[in-house]
Amino acid sequence: MVEYDRTQQREQAEKSGLKICVVGVGGAGSNVIDRITTDRTVDATLVAMQTDVRVLHNSISPKKLQLGIELMRGVGAGGDPDLGREAALYSKEQIREVLDGHDMIFISVGLGGGTGSGAAPVIAEIAKNTGATVLVFAAVPFNFEGRRRTTQAREALERLQKSADALILFENNRMGELLLPKEGIQKAFVLADTLISQSVRAVTNMLSAPGLVKLGLADLVSALRVTDGRCLFGFGEAKGQNRGTEALKRALKSPLINQGQLLQCAQNLLVHVVGGESLTITEVEVIMKQLGRHVPDDTQILFGLGVDPKLGESLSVTLISALSATQLASLSIEEAEELAPAPVERRAPRPAPAPKSPQTLELFASSNGNGVHSDEELETRPTVAMKAAVASVPPPPAELFKPSAPEPAPARVAKPTPAPEPLPEPVAEVEPEEVEVVYQRDADEEVEEEEVVAPVMNPRNRDEGIKLSQVIGLGTGKAATRATARLTQVVDEIELGTEPESPNTEANDAFEVTGHVELTPVLQAQPETAAIPIRRETTVRARTVEATPAARQPQPNKENEFFTPAVTTMQATPVAIAPATTTPAAEQQTFRLGQEDRGRFKDTEPAIVQGEDLDIPTWMRLRKKLKR
Amino acid sequence: MAKSTIYAGLEIGTQKICVVVGEAKRDGAIKILGVGQAPSRGVRKGEIVDFDKVQTCLNDALVRAEDRSDVMIRNVFLGVTGAHIESLNNRGCYRLPEDQNEITEDDVEESKEIARNVEIQQQNVFLHSITRQYIVDGQEAVRQPIGREARTLEADYHIIHGVRGRIQNAIRCVREIPLEVEDVVFNPIAAAQVVLNREAKQQGSLMLDFGAGTVDYVLYEDGMVTATGCIPLGGEHITQDIAQAFQIHHGRAERLKIAEGSTNYQDVRDGELIRVEDDNGLVIGEVERGFLNEVIYLRTEEILGQVRDRVQEHLGKLAAGVYLTGGVSLMKGIDATAREVFGLKVTRAGSASVSGVTATFENPIYSTPIGLIRYAQILDSEKPFLSPLARLGRRMADLINIV
Repeated sequence: MVEYDRTQQREQAEKSGLKICVVGVGGAGSNVIDRITTDRTVDATLVAMQTDVRVLHNSISPKKLQLGIELMRGVGAGGDPDLGREAALYSKEQIREVLDGHDMIFISVGLGGGTGSGAAPVIAEIAKNTGATVLVFAAVPFNFEGRRRTTQAREALERLQKSADALILFENNRMGELLLPKEGIQKAFVLADTLISQSVRAVTNMLSAPGLVKLGLADLVSALRVTDGRCLFGFGEAKGQNRGTEALKRALKSPLINQGQLLQCAQNLLVHVVGGESLTITEVEVIMKQLGRHVPDDTQILFGLGVDPKLGESLSVTLISALSATQLASLSIEEAEELAPAPVERRAPRPAPAPKSPQTLELFASSNGNGVHSDEELETRPTVAMKAAVASVPPPPAELFKPSAPEPAPARVAKPTPAPEPLPEPVAEVEPEEVEVVYQRDADEEVEEEEVVAPVMNPRNRDEGIKLSQVIGLGTGKAATRATARLTQVVDEIELGTEPESPNTEANDAFEVTGHVELTPVLQAQPETAAIPIRRETTVRARTVEATPAARQPQPNKENEFFTPAVTTMQATPVAIAPATTTPAAEQQTFRLGQEDRGRFKDTEPAIVQGEDLDIPTWMRLRKKLKR
Repeated sequence: MAKSTIYAGLEIGTQKICVVVGEAKRDGAIKILGVGQAPSRGVRKGEIVDFDKVQTCLNDALVRAEDRSDVMIRNVFLGVTGAHIESLNNRGCYRLPEDQNEITEDDVEESKEIARNVEIQQQNVFLHSITRQYIVDGQEAVRQPIGREARTLEADYHIIHGVRGRIQNAIRCVREIPLEVEDVVFNPIAAAQVVLNREAKQQGSLMLDFGAGTVDYVLYEDGMVTATGCIPLGGEHITQDIAQAFQIHHGRAERLKIAEGSTNYQDVRDGELIRVEDDNGLVIGEVERGFLNEVIYLRTEEILGQVRDRVQEHLGKLAAGVYLTGGVSLMKGIDATAREVFGLKVTRAGSASVSGVTATFENPIYSTPIGLIRYAQILDSEKPFLSPLARLGRRMADLINIV
């Protein structure tokens, strides 16, 4: 640990000289480099690497490197990634020479072609081996470019993933589609380049510029951490009055974000606000508030704030997030109501971030070992970095490159690091869902089995003065059996639930029976049982106070006590039911229950008033309100 | 000898499809010739969700109506409803040219044109635009402005619009029968013509057509339509609540509701039970009356509350109170609940003032289809009150052209 601290100290000293290199590979890559060169916005070594000497000649990049001179003789790879790779391998030494001595290497590449898909992975690997942090900005080909290019791009991506610390993917399709269906094709490509160059610039600034609230590579990685993720990127800069709002507006205008609509589904969002020295806290507040409207509440916002005197009077906002490709495809058109289910589905892959997160962690470990940069990561996420560092102390590089190192992942999950910590959220959200699931079962049964009234009239019970509805509750179920794990809870619940009412012998009988698997469905009907007294009391109360729906919410303590047992069981069972859950988590805000609860109205347009789906039985909603 | 015309009104409701054939005499009287009715399938919340089923049911109803009335039905007035239908009030102000100070017909037309020119959502189409009043130089409630001396003339309109596609769906469904749709009418507008008399409109009243799928309402203030709308909640919701509360299927819940349902749950003796019988009359279960009524009450109160929330601002001016019609208005205790919700006098009403087999038609469930006949008659006689309603041909042409 002492050693570790010392490393950090040393790095702090040389921090100002963070050396960045931007490499453009292939045609698309060098276009991006051209753009960055003309914009002169990034303080970095710019290198264009190409196999085709003619293209390379046209490039205005300050540094150029012709790949595989002997092999290719200045001719392009002709769309063959193998050739591209060969070429890069031939020029291995030159590449290393160029890249050596940089702390951070950005590789911008257009995938699908020969040089891009072939050489980029090799270059990334070399870059990695120099000990730098490697970020890859890759453009995925347009659909019309054909299947072959798409496959090549995919293969290249897989390779790139192995050596890149972060992979920022741009889908050309999206950019083209959203922005300029009618404009010239050249413009489409140019725009794609512009966007990439903009993001290179933004990311460089973010990672290198000093920050008040610092965002590090770790944050970037976690913002992008989605399986098969596509980058949502927005950048806006504005001056003058209202510059905050304006900048945000421009950032949201980015085609990749689709007017902010796509942010609705993002689980992590990185926001970086940079301003000149005149940046005020109100401006930042306003920006974040406005952004909040585009982002669901449960999205993790990674906020960064920097002051860059170079910006002068202007203020820039950068938004970075990622959505999985499939999601993008499905969401881009039909947004609307179905937003709610999406987060749940997405949440599933996250806790086990497939191949990416181990890599990123390896990365930290290795970069620490190499003593390069990494101070910002350390600042922002000490725990993870520490863990990684600890993990990396004994092992030689060989270990670091093992594709799946098991220990980093648990570390990430267990520690509530400042970096996004997805796990607690899902758990929290399952609880309310749980309630829905139980109801759904009710509704299902109600549809499938028609005659359930029969058991209701069990005169025995009535004599004992048990509430009728409770009898219904006990007698209703005949459907599927539940996991035995739930049984005990069921028993508890009944005990607690009935005691205040009438702790009579009949009830006890019921408990004994419940011990058997057959009667488990009691749980399903339980909500019904619980319902009655609430309704009784509340409605009477409501009437005395006022007749408005709002007034029906009083939550006297007595009722709360009475219902806690039911609630707790709900919480205790999520594991058993979670897999079956497909219902939206959105009922946090709305009182929407499951689709099934809407009964005959389930295929119709919901009648939602003030967040309540009025198609769901009134009594059900009232009870739900009370439980909260 | 008064010339009479025969009209057919068609309401595709959530519960039933009803065709009413009526004869409108020139003197204003209406004689019902026959009613064809069939239970409705494939309609939810007043809107068609399953074309085939609706058409089958519609054919059924149509054949019955033709049988009873001995009239061949070719054209119908179609009543529509649905949550998408909205209304608003708009004023168009027209300043008379300098050299003219007497209002002419052209000026009136001009001001109407301005008033009707409202921005509505792009996918919406105008269903009705009803003149509420004219305002001449700031003087309100002028019925007949032509010939008056004035500088400015304002036309005050009540405009009802709905989503084009959804209205078109209903029309298409009927056309495929095949039947010609003569005009499309928003249900409560039609129903109000027979439920509310002139006096009620003049004093101010709220008519609620509490149907199975929707609650449609019209609010009259000083004889002018002030608010209309549709709430996509209705009797079916009550039934569904019961079905889910007692875990019984929909049909039985419906029967239970009709036979035993009431919103009065407070005066029920504790533990009073209702027997539930199956089709053979065998008792298969019992339900607690208090609970049943409470479930019904909660829902009914909520639905009425929704209406109240929408017309809150006008409630102060309704001297004639609330008129309840539609199927659910037959439920026991609903008048008391409505009184509680609105704090106004509540009248349950069916259609009045028609001759024919009267006993049948005072039933509130026929208010809308009979209202459609009345509406047709009014439209035909071009009473000043309804004259601005767009002419059939033009509206149909509009609809067709647009689609």
